Amino acid sequence: MRVGIIGVGCTKFGVHEKTIQELAFDAVKEAIEDADISREDIDMSVVGTSNTRGYELMPAVPINEYCGFAGKGPIRVEAACATGSAALYTAYSSIVSGMADIAVAIGVEKMTELNTPTSLAVGGRSGSYLWEFHQYGTTFPGYYAMHASAHMAKYGTTSEQLAMVAVKNHRNAAKNPKAHFPKEITLEKAVSSRYVAYPLKLFDCCPISDGASAAILASEKKIKELGKEAVWIEGIGYSSDTANVTKRSDYAGLKATVEASKMAYKMAGIENPLKSLDVACLHDCFTIAEIMAYEDLGFCRKGEGGKFVEEGRSDFGGDITVNTFGGLKAKGHPLGATGLAMIYEAVKQLREEAGDLQADLENYKALTHNIGGTGHFGWVFVLGV
Amino acid sequence: MIIEGRELVFKHNIPVTRVEKYWKGLEEGKIYGTVCKSCGAKYSPPQADCSLCYSDDMEWVEIGGEGEVECMTEQHSFPAGFEFLKESYIIAVARFGDFKVVGWAKDKISVGDKVVAETGKDETGVWKVYFRKV
Ligand SMILES: [Zn+2]
Repeated sequence: MRVGIIGVGCTKFGVHEKTIQELAFDAVKEAIEDADISREDIDMSVVGTSNTRGYELMPAVPINEYCGFAGKGPIRVEAACATGSAALYTAYSSIVSGMADIAVAIGVEKMTELNTPTSLAVGGRSGSYLWEFHQYGTTFPGYYAMHASAHMAKYGTTSEQLAMVAVKNHRNAAKNPKAHFPKEITLEKAVSSRYVAYPLKLFDCCPISDGASAAILASEKKIKELGKEAVWIEGIGYSSDTANVTKRSDYAGLKATVEASKMAYKMAGIENPLKSLDVACLHDCFTIAEIMAYEDLGFCRKGEGGKFVEEGRSDFGGDITVNTFGGLKAKGHPLGATGLAMIYEAVKQLREEAGDLQADLENYKALTHNIGGTGHFGWVFVLGV
Repeated sequence: MIIEGRELVFKHNIPVTRVEKYWKGLEEGKIYGTVCKSCGAKYSPPQADCSLCYSDDMEWVEIGGEGEVECMTEQHSFPAGFEFLKESYIIAVARFGDFKVVGWAKDKISVGDKVVAETGKDETGVWKVYFRKV
């Protein structure tokens, strides 16, 4: 059974003086208006939030109540930074199972209610607490920095190449009013910024943002019945890896990306991603993550990710347009919202509603790549019209 | 308008009974991993159960000798719980034979450097592994 996306919503990412339910409401409202359906048409609500920084420890029901979905679910899902993708999959599954005709996937995160040291200590628990954070004070930037150190040593990837990812994504974010940092940066500014976790500098890191996103999914039968247009979910892939950093065989890539993309490409019938896809939303929580993703998704050979961005192959007019909306790097990365914000962006691109950030479409296919932790979760979706 | 929430402190009591030998070992300058006697799977950090064959018949082995740094970072920001650190700190993963170990590096190190491991405790009394460059 085919499942299509009939409505999407996404708030501006940044610092919001709104509660988690108020923020989720804004995204859901936009998605319902976009789908041109009513609240009562929805059979199942899936709430995705990692919410490890929130005061509302069990937020699914308050969010569901505020959005007017009491009685329709909710199912709460959590997959760290890939939570939004897990929510999409759960909503998709509720339709494929025949239990729901129309389902909403909500992704939301409030990250700015805590101070930075507390937020760092929460993110630093994204590995295996007792053996990593407890003993060594790991942080989330620190984990990606370790991957960057391995990639740079093994393949000669440079700080400049990392910074080129940031420059590209900031250039795109400058045209996106929903971005946390809608402003351009220079390569000079990026490479001369202070270290957060060597070898990663301030401009290699995504900001700490609040945000929400939502997608409304329906069965093909229901979509026909309602006479709607849809963006179809053509490929789904998922994988995961060890919690403990010591139990990984290699640090120059993410196995979860490789495995998830293989599964998604197979389902979508894609043999050569660069030939089949027009746009991609890649998980660039840190610049090194986008470079590893080019390689692990098969856009280039292993070790050539630095060159891929340097040669402009991931920019407008390149082989595949990556992170047209500014990526996590400049648009922001409110954990639970990110995966569905990618879906929002892919849908806008495929409908050719992306305005100044519209990529040229040849195949009308887009990919989203959403990672939880450092490859602790990996999700890839292929969308098409 | 912002309202300050009520304070909530989580300070967990963590059971390490089944891998107690590891924590006691650190106090004696030793780093232990486990090897599954049934299928040979090796675990660092140690596990009391084998994730591959589901056996709980494990042998404790000491990890040592010369290791090689596989990845590292120097942290310039301090998460809550580590305010006692006054300067940036280096976290690395080094391979010692079939086992990988996380540690704090006492010397400036790079990927590929050879290191030896020792144990010690920080200002908060938490025991851990430290690396020294060979
Ligand atoms: Zn075994």
